[in-house]
Parts: sequence; structure tokens; C-alpha cells
Amino acid sequence: MIIEKRIVLKNSGIINPESIDDYINTGGYKALSKALSGTPLQVVEEVMSSGLRGRGGAGFPTGTKKKAAASRSAGTTGYVVCNADEGEPGTFKDREIMENDPHLLIEGMIIAAYAIGADKAYIYIRGEYYKSIGRLQNAIKQGYERGYLGNNILGSGYSLDLEIRPGAGSYLCGEELTLLESLEGKRGYPRIKPPFPAEKGLWGKPTLVNNVETLANLPGIIEYGSSWYRSSGTEQTPGTKIFSICGDVRKPGCYEVEAGVTLNDLINDLAGGTHDGLPWKTVLLGGAAGTFVPYSFADISMCYERLREKGATLGSGAVIVAGNERKLISLMQSILRFFRHESCGKCVPCRAGTAILHEKSMELTGKGYDERLTILEDMVNHARQMAKSSLCPLGQSPVLPLESLNRHFREIMAAEQ
Amino acid sequence: MVKLTIDNKTIHVPEGLNLLEAARNNGIPIPGLCYHRKLTPTGACRLCVVKIEGMRGLVTSCTVEVTDGMKVTAFDSELEDVRRLLLEYLLYEHNDSFDNTYSDELRELLIRYNLDKPENRSLKPAWQKMNFKADDSSPVLTYDPSKCIKCFRCIKACDEVQGKNVLSFTERGISSFIIAGTGVWGESECDGCGECIQLCPTGAIVEKPGRDMIRLDRIEKKVITTCPYCGVGCQIELLVQDGRIVRSNGVEGVSPNDGRLCVKGRFGYEFVHSADRLTTPLIKRNGKFEEATWDEALDLIAKRFTEIRNKYCPEALAGYASAKCTNEDNYLFQKFIRTAFGTNNIDYCTRLCHASTVTAMLKAIGDGAGSNPIEHFETTDTLFVTGNNIIDTHPVTATYVKQGVAKGQKIILVDPKWTPLVRYATIWLQPGLGTDVALLNGLVHIIIKNGWTDRKFIEERIEGGMEAFKQLEKLTSSYTTGYVSEITGVPEDKLVTAARLYATAPTAMIATGMGMSQQITGTHNVFSLINMMLITGKAGRERCGINPPRGQNNVQGATDVGCSPYNFPGYIPVINDDNRRRVAKVWGVPYESLPSKPGLTTVEIMQAACDGKIKGIFIMGENAMISDPNLNHTEEALKRMEFVVVQDIFHTETTRFADVVLPASSWAEKEGTFVNSDRRVLRVRKAVECPGKARVDWKIIHELAGRMGKPMPNYRNESEIFGEIAGVTPIMAGISYERLEQGSIQWPCPDKDHPGTPTLYTDSFNTATGRGKLFPVEYVPHKEKLDGEYPMILNSGRLLYHYHTATMTRRTKALKDFADKAYVQVHPADAARYNIKDGSRVKIESRRGMLETIVHISEDVLEGEVFMPWHFTESQVNRLTRDELDPFSKIAPFKLSAVRISRI
Repeated sequence: MIIEKRIVLKNSGIINPESIDDYINTGGYKALSKALSGTPLQVVEEVMSSGLRGRGGAGFPTGTKKKAAASRSAGTTGYVVCNADEGEPGTFKDREIMENDPHLLIEGMIIAAYAIGADKAYIYIRGEYYKSIGRLQNAIKQGYERGYLGNNILGSGYSLDLEIRPGAGSYLCGEELTLLESLEGKRGYPRIKPPFPAEKGLWGKPTLVNNVETLANLPGIIEYGSSWYRSSGTEQTPGTKIFSICGDVRKPGCYEVEAGVTLNDLINDLAGGTHDGLPWKTVLLGGAAGTFVPYSFADISMCYERLREKGATLGSGAVIVAGNERKLISLMQSILRFFRHESCGKCVPCRAGTAILHEKSMELTGKGYDERLTILEDMVNHARQMAKSSLCPLGQSPVLPLESLNRHFREIMAAEQ
Repeated sequence: MVKLTIDNKTIHVPEGLNLLEAARNNGIPIPGLCYHRKLTPTGACRLCVVKIEGMRGLVTSCTVEVTDGMKVTAFDSELEDVRRLLLEYLLYEHNDSFDNTYSDELRELLIRYNLDKPENRSLKPAWQKMNFKADDSSPVLTYDPSKCIKCFRCIKACDEVQGKNVLSFTERGISSFIIAGTGVWGESECDGCGECIQLCPTGAIVEKPGRDMIRLDRIEKKVITTCPYCGVGCQIELLVQDGRIVRSNGVEGVSPNDGRLCVKGRFGYEFVHSADRLTTPLIKRNGKFEEATWDEALDLIAKRFTEIRNKYCPEALAGYASAKCTNEDNYLFQKFIRTAFGTNNIDYCTRLCHASTVTAMLKAIGDGAGSNPIEHFETTDTLFVTGNNIIDTHPVTATYVKQGVAKGQKIILVDPKWTPLVRYATIWLQPGLGTDVALLNGLVHIIIKNGWTDRKFIEERIEGGMEAFKQLEKLTSSYTTGYVSEITGVPEDKLVTAARLYATAPTAMIATGMGMSQQITGTHNVFSLINMMLITGKAGRERCGINPPRGQNNVQGATDVGCSPYNFPGYIPVINDDNRRRVAKVWGVPYESLPSKPGLTTVEIMQAACDGKIKGIFIMGENAMISDPNLNHTEEALKRMEFVVVQDIFHTETTRFADVVLPASSWAEKEGTFVNSDRRVLRVRKAVECPGKARVDWKIIHELAGRMGKPMPNYRNESEIFGEIAGVTPIMAGISYERLEQGSIQWPCPDKDHPGTPTLYTDSFNTATGRGKLFPVEYVPHKEKLDGEYPMILNSGRLLYHYHTATMTRRTKALKDFADKAYVQVHPADAARYNIKDGSRVKIESRRGMLETIVHISEDVLEGEVFMPWHFTESQVNRLTRDELDPFSKIAPFKLSAVRISRI
């Protein structure tokens, strides 16, 4: 029987998220004081040695990103941008942080901004997150009032402004370069990489883009140190990870655990097991841009490295559980409809490819066993070519759910009623 | 240079080039549809993907800069499979029907990849299901989303090239398509330049004019020539089919326009084939024009002009040359006036546009032309634009300005009236009409007070150095910001900001227009402007100088080749004996026969005619009865003359007063050259035949010279005429048709090996001492009295869609569709005061005349000022203007007439 280990969600449900005093009384903003009393480089190094990896989905080492942005922003002004455009289907962990402990995110952002020498930070947040926006606005106001934001923070001589910018409902704007376009007031089209944001980000300046959960890990790492952080989790996925578990489980919700627990422990011990008590049919890990796994993966360790070895993904931490009765073809159609709807249309392979994949998936209904196998094969081929030639991660994503479905469930899908 | 290998072929290319261009330049045909040389890379079509050693996956070559040692695979089966599939994806969403009216880059690729036949395709097309609707609402183009491959080229053409930013995508993914403005093309801010058409690779955006006619497989010839409209001198390619022009494209990769055009350059060719063209000589008999043979007409003209010359004196004759005709036409015309008429009474409409600018520039810095190449409008740090509606009147020059602004260029705009440049300007000063000298003296005062002058430049390059500067300092010392603000109405802080922006910029250029020149104080206005330029050292080097963008295709060239009452070709004064000797020798005439007395200017000629001193006039391609000031007076002058000849391509307001009308040629019907605003000598090439019996202009003059007993050499072609021009015009001495075949050349070009001169005065000014001259001038309030009877000031100007007296543009449907009505702009407060509503019909009267027109209520004008475009014959603005003249340049004050306005 596993239990949660809370670093990021430590205050969630315990303190009043509208009260900065509550946050301070539980040790809040101590890490910031500590960071400000040292050099920015010390912060970067602490994060580097913590082994923290980006929690938005890609799992890129956060310290490396910071170092890149910090070295680039030397002598110029840079930006910190918090990616709070939580749009991956099945992912709702950032919202949990922002609604229940907004100061934790803000403290993490100030530390990050200090580390790279930014004087301006933005939270680009999903527009429908009204409650999060309200809580953050309140918290930012309090932060300015108490001297954690604005000029000369805590007498350190360091200054930072922080602003919220709501998105307008585009999945793609959660992709970091598209997010920056949107933040600049342009239509949400992906930019060409390179340059990466650390080199030329917002308004062409060095920019650090981090996910909410990533930034919310910083106060703990700074306060207690990287070795404390590394004492949880696995070698390559230190610390904790919030999993947002949904679908056919009894107790859907966000659970923060040490990285490395098994999938079934998550589902059974924390989310209360499946509705019908039967073994689940499949779990979609990481959202629409994630991978389907069969029940044989029940005991897999939930960390970047193990999942990767088995051709699966951790992604944003979404765990979408499909019970025994679920139809896979319909799940697939739903995901492909989503990609088609969210494709921005900038590049040919994604624009046409997402539509073609969706159309082909619709053809599966009403086709016989052999025909379905042919269509599935064809779809995977298209998705592979799309992944090769698409401009941004969106067009490179359909191959993940499709290949995993095809690998693990092709006969089941071919025979599905 | 960097060295790289592509498919084991080693190539050397310049640094900074993108890989796609590097490959294509070296004969490696990587496919691609969204990339265009003029645009930032988009990476949308993905067809140009390659493999690069050390880089993960496939990389679009258009978005990668070449690096030394780069190893690239451009063609292998994997890449070709991806490309073929991408083309199939495009076919999935694309209507690939083709009607041979546009060039189709996608179709070429389909053929290359063997996908042009439907049986070779693996995907069923789906575009029919998408219910795309074509947008047919623009006067000049149609957009069909089903033919669109969403490559972004049109969007970027509009934004990055033309700086207009009208186009964008709407919807998302496979449903996305292009919209103009908020959705309907015809209601958007699209001004019809057609850059999007030119850059569209698939015929999704196609032009309307000529489209029912054009078939690319039936094009007889493509002729590269120079645009017949404003003085930018855009290079255009005319497509000719069945003897008619059916399309005009911008020529890519050459100066001055690099493929860009405006709405007139692209669509304004229809007039050439108008049924209204004059096709036969006409002689007025008993008040009616009757068709005549060329012999009848020319004999009559020769006889009557000779009679007048003999009966009165040579000075009783005069000629109006034409800013629309070629150098060759104009050169022979002034030679004809000087030899056959025997007078220097030769002038043309330049007198009505930049005469004051040229006068001031000749005196202060030595050349009557712009000092910088057009490209520097983009690269100078600061641009001072005064009295110049550059976006409407020089649309392609403005594209450079807008690109400069996008890169951080600062713009100081001085204009009493709103112009579209306000949107791009760093600061807009809105001085009252006629207060320019005060404004500029004020700026000079601020510059001196703040020490923003360039002392080294003053000492080394200004005549009289610090002493001369002190005089200017003294004169301008009374022009305090408070005083100047009071006169001009410009807030003091704006004066200081403008002065600082100009004076402290590393480089700064000036663009000065009709707003400055068309005043009684026109010459003084420009003197004060040049003073500011000289004391800040913003001249004599690249990206610094003063430029009067010229309004007509060859207004620069006509003066360059001697259509001036004062000067022979090349700005050589006629009063000088040696000059006349030299010219007489080249022309093969006795030097005594060349008149030494300077002639009369455009308006003076009409005034002299009114006074009975001028009895006969030969007007080539001018429409004085719209373009001259105080038309009632001009009308009287034309009526009083004994013999009037008008040579034109249409009946105009002026031909009515002619005794003989000669049918001439349009620009598309002849060979020759124009000179544009940045002194570029550009070739004009024949595309079509003259209609009916119409003749090329210079041939008519040549013939007439013979019949008046002053035959000219038998020029075999225009090249020979240009050879003679080069012989008498030192600034063009090194230019020949042979050289122009390689590209345009900017004068001065003194010899055959000289490359031409992009920037003037880099070593010295073209004055006697080689130094620039300061001309301190006092502000004098304008004399046109505003009183209870005539309480408002009328300003006049041009529109993007029309050209000069609109004889050409109003015979082009597309341009008329955009704008075809005269109007007057009235400030809302004045509208309330005089009880005028938007759309009211009003009478406008001045002390000289009246007109009727429609009211547009608009905050574009200041209170107390009204503005009218002057192109329209039904509301002739010049019935109201004055023919008082600037004493130095003889320009008339078109910009300032006291009027009253009343509802009808």
C-alpha cells in the first residue's frame, strides 16, 4: 500500500490559498530569502544537481534549461514565462497547485527569475482556469504588497514584475514556442526551432519557459537542498511527480508520489481501483500526445527512464484509465478528432495529416478484421511520416498513441464489436 | 564564403545564406513552395526537408543557415517519399484544376513527382467537402480557398514586403483560409497592390482585370519596361497577347522596386487600349474638330507657327513639354522649341510640383535631384518626411520606409493633414498651412541651443564655415519654441523631440513633397530644410541627404534633358555663351541662332498669353486645363492665343482649346528612357503598336522640325537620340542603351567606365566652391487673406488610385472601382459651424472661382482647413487656386487658397 509524498501539494487543502500569511506561516518565502542571499549561479547549480526534470511533458532537465537561459541573458534582460496553459487531455495537476497554493508557484517563479537575471515574468494561463486566475491575481497583489515582487525584493536590490496572461483556448499554445507567439499578441503558430527560447524567446530575448509543477518544486529544492530532493524518486527522476488520474477509477484526482511507484499502485492504492473491480483494459499515459499501455504494464515503475525503455511515456503525468468495457476504436477516434481540431494549420503534414488520420479512423467502424488491420497499418505509416516532417510537436504526436495501440491492441481492435 | 557538401557535391556559398537558396543557386533543385527569396522563411510546406549530419531528424533547408563543413543529404528515397506524400497531402485539400491564366508552382512539382495524373495518387481528395467559398469582393483580385495551399506567402507579401499587414488566416487546421481585414476583401484596407497575386504559387489569388482574356500559352511576348506612373520608376514586365497588354508583373531582383508594385503599376495599363484613344490628327474648322491626314495637320502647324514667329517674334511662341514622355521625346522637344521656334519658352509641369525644391537644392547643394538611392529609405536611422504623403503618392518607396520602421527606423512626419504614414510615424507634427519656415527655423534653433550640430561638418563642408553658421544662429535665435509653437500650433515638446530625433540620429534622410514646394515661400521652405540638414551634417554620406520623391514617371528626366526655360540638358545655363557654343556644335546649328535669354515658365507663359505676348503654343502631353493654377485665367490665356497645338493620347480638358490635335503614343508603344526620383536612368520598351494613325511623339516633333525648316539628323532609333543626349549632358555622358541593357544607372555618370552615383555629395557638393550653402530665411506669413468672406484654407493633393489629371487612371476600371469621386474633407467642427453633413453637396468658392463637390467629414484635416484631391474634372480644384508665384522658382501656391464653403 503506497501513500502520497507531498512536496508540491504540501499546502494543498491545508492552508487558505487566499492568505499570504497562511503561506508564510508554513514556511513560505523562506526559500526566496535564501536564494536572494546567495548568487544566481548558486541557484542554477542547486537546481542542476537536484536533477529536476520539466514536469510539462517532455522531461527536459530544468537546470540545463536555466543555465542556458542564464548564460544567454547575461548583460541583457531576459524573461521567465510560466507555462500554465494546461491543455493536455487528462491533465489537471497545475490547476491543483494554482488554486490551492498560488504563492508556491510565485515563489518558484521569483527564484527562477533571479537565477537567470530576468526582470519580468509572465504566467501564461489557460483562459478557462477562472479560479486559478483569481487566486493568482490575489496572490500577486499580496506579493507586491509584502515586497516579494516589484522593486528591490526583500531589500536585495533585485527587482521583478510578474503578470498574468490568459490564453484563448488553443491546445497548441501550450507548446512553448507557440506560447511565446501568443504571449507577444500574435496568432498561436509554432515558431521554427532553433532558436530555442533560452537563446531567442519572448520579444527575441533569452527566456526561460517552465511548467507550473516544475517551478513549484524550486522552493523546496532551494530550502532543503538538492540532496534532500534526490532522496526521493529514482536516479533519473528524482523527487515527486503529481499524477492526475481519471477515467474508469473510483477516486479520480491528483496524487503526488515519489517517482518510481508502479502503475497499479497508483490506480489501486490511490485512485481506488477500477469502477468494476476488473483489471483495466488500457491506460493512456501522458494524455492525447501519450502512449497506450496494456495490463502487462501494471507493475511498471512510473519514472521517465523505465517507461522510456518500454516505449511508453510519462508525459505530463496524465493517467487515463480505460476499463474493461471501453471500446478502443472509439477512444482512438476521439483522440484523432482532438488532434484534427487542434492542428493550427501552419504546416502541411499536420494540417492535412491530422484530418486524414481522423477520416481513416472513422472508416474503421463497420470494416471487417482484415480491412481494419490494413487501415491501422496505413494510419501508423501516415503518422510516422507526419512525425518526421511536421513543424512542431503537435504533428509529431499522433504517432505515439497510434503506434502504441497498434503494437499492443491491433488484434483486439480488429475484432472489436 | 563557407564550404559545404550536398549529396557529395562540394559548394562554396556566401555566409548567412539559407541552405535552400544555397542549394538552388548551385543547381540542386530542392523542391519547396512556401519559401520566397523576399520573405522570412516559414517552414510550412516542409517540402524542402533535408538531412544534415549532426542534426536530429529531417530539417527544412529554408530555415537553416549554411555553416562551414555542413554535410547535407538533399535527395534519397526517404526524403523523396516524404516529399511525395506531402504533395499528396496538398492534393487532399487542394483543387488542382488549372486554366492557364497563372503560373502554378505546385503543378510543376506534381508533374515532377508524377502526381499530375489522378490515377497515380493514393489519397481521395477531400477539398470538395470543405465548402470553401471564393472571395470575389475586391476590385482587382479573387481569392479561392480551394486552390490555396496556405503557404503564408500572400500574408508575408502583404506584411513583410508591402508593410500593409491586411491578410491573415481565419479558422484552424484544415479548415483555415486567408481573409483580408475582418473577412471581406472588398471591405478591408487592401489597396490592391497585388503583391499577394505575384507571390501566390498556386493561383489561389488571381487578378481580375484581363483574366477572361489571358492564356499563358498564347502570350506573344514579355516586355520589361518602366512603369508610366509616379517617379519611383518601378520595373514592370508586360505580357502581350493578341497585340494587347494583358498583365503587368513587377520585375523581381532589380532596382528600384525588386518586384514590388502599387495598384497603378499592376493594374493601370487598361488605358492603353481604351476606345477613347486619339487615332488620327484633328483640325478644328468652324469650331469643330475634323479628321485630317498627318500631312495636312503638320503642314498647317508648321505654317501657322512660322507665321507667328515671323509676324511677332520667336518669344511669341512657347512649348509645354511632358513629364509623361520619354527623355528622347523631351530632348527633341526642347531642341525643337529652341531651334525651330527660336525661344527658351519651354517648360512643363515640374514648375508646378518641385520647381522650388529644385531651385533651393541647386543653389544650396548643387543638384536638383534626390541625393540617395531608394534602398536607403529602408536603412537610414531616421527619416524626416515633410509635406509628402509618401504612402499614397510613392507607394513603392513607402514599402522601403515601412520595412525600415519594422526594423526600428524613426520617422518624423510633418504634415498639416493626416496621411497613412501617421500610423508608422514616431512623431507627427501638424503645423498650420504655410508655417513651414517658422517650424524649421524653430527646429534649427532647438538644435543649435542643445549643441546637436556637427561642427566638423560645418567647418569643412559649409561655405563660410562657422561664420555662415553664426548668421543662421543669429537669424533663428528669435524662433524660440514658444514663438514657433504659437505660429505653427505644434506643441513645444513635440518640436524638441522632432529636433532631437533628427539631429542626434547616426544617419537621417529627408523626404520633402508638394506640401513644402507648392507655396509662395516654396524655395524658402526648402532652404530652411537644407539649413537644418547641413548644420547637423546629415548630408554628403550614405543614408543622409534630401530627397524630393518625384510625382511623375519622367518629371526628373524631362528637366535633366533640358525642358527648362533656363537650362540646356544637364542643368547648363542658356545664358552662358560657352554653353550655347558647345550645344550649338553638337546640334549642328549656328550658335547665334540659340536664344540666350531665359524663357518663361509654365504659369508665366499663360500669364503672358493673357497679356497678348504669347500667341502660339505647342503642348505635348500636358493637361494645363486641370493642372495649372487659377484655371479661369488659364482658360482665358488659351482662348486668347492665335494657335494652339496639343499632342496627346486622349482628348483632354485642354484639347478643347486646340486648333490642331495630334494623336501620340503611350509609354507602352515606344522605346526610350525615363529618369526616376533617385536619378536612375531606366529603359522604356515598346510592347504594343500605336493605335490607328497615332505616332511616336519624337517622330512627330522630328517631322515638324523639318517642315519648319530646321531639320534634325535622321535618327535611326531612340538609342541614337540618347547618344546625342549623352553628348550634351555631362551627367549622362557615360550612359548608353548598351549599358542600360545590363541595368539602370544613376546619374551623374560622367564616362563610360563610371558605375553611376547612388549617393550624391560624398566628396563635395556640386556648387562652385564644392561646399554647401546656408540660406538663413525669415518666416513670412502667407498673404492669402482669410477674412469673413473667405474664412477657410483649401489644401489640395493626390490619391493613390489616380495620377495627375486622371486622363489615364480614369480609363482603367480597376482604379475607378477604388476611387472615382471628387470630394472635400472638412473637419467636424467646421462641418457643424457651416451646417454641413457628411455627403452634403457643397459649393466652394475662392476669390478666383468656384466648384461643387461632396463633403467627407473627417478629422484628417485641421479645423479651419479643407482638403481636396485635384484629379477630378467635375470638381476642378484649380479653379480656386492662385497663380501668384514664388519669386525664385515661379511655382504656384496650390496648397493654400482662401475659400468659403456653403451647402447647395
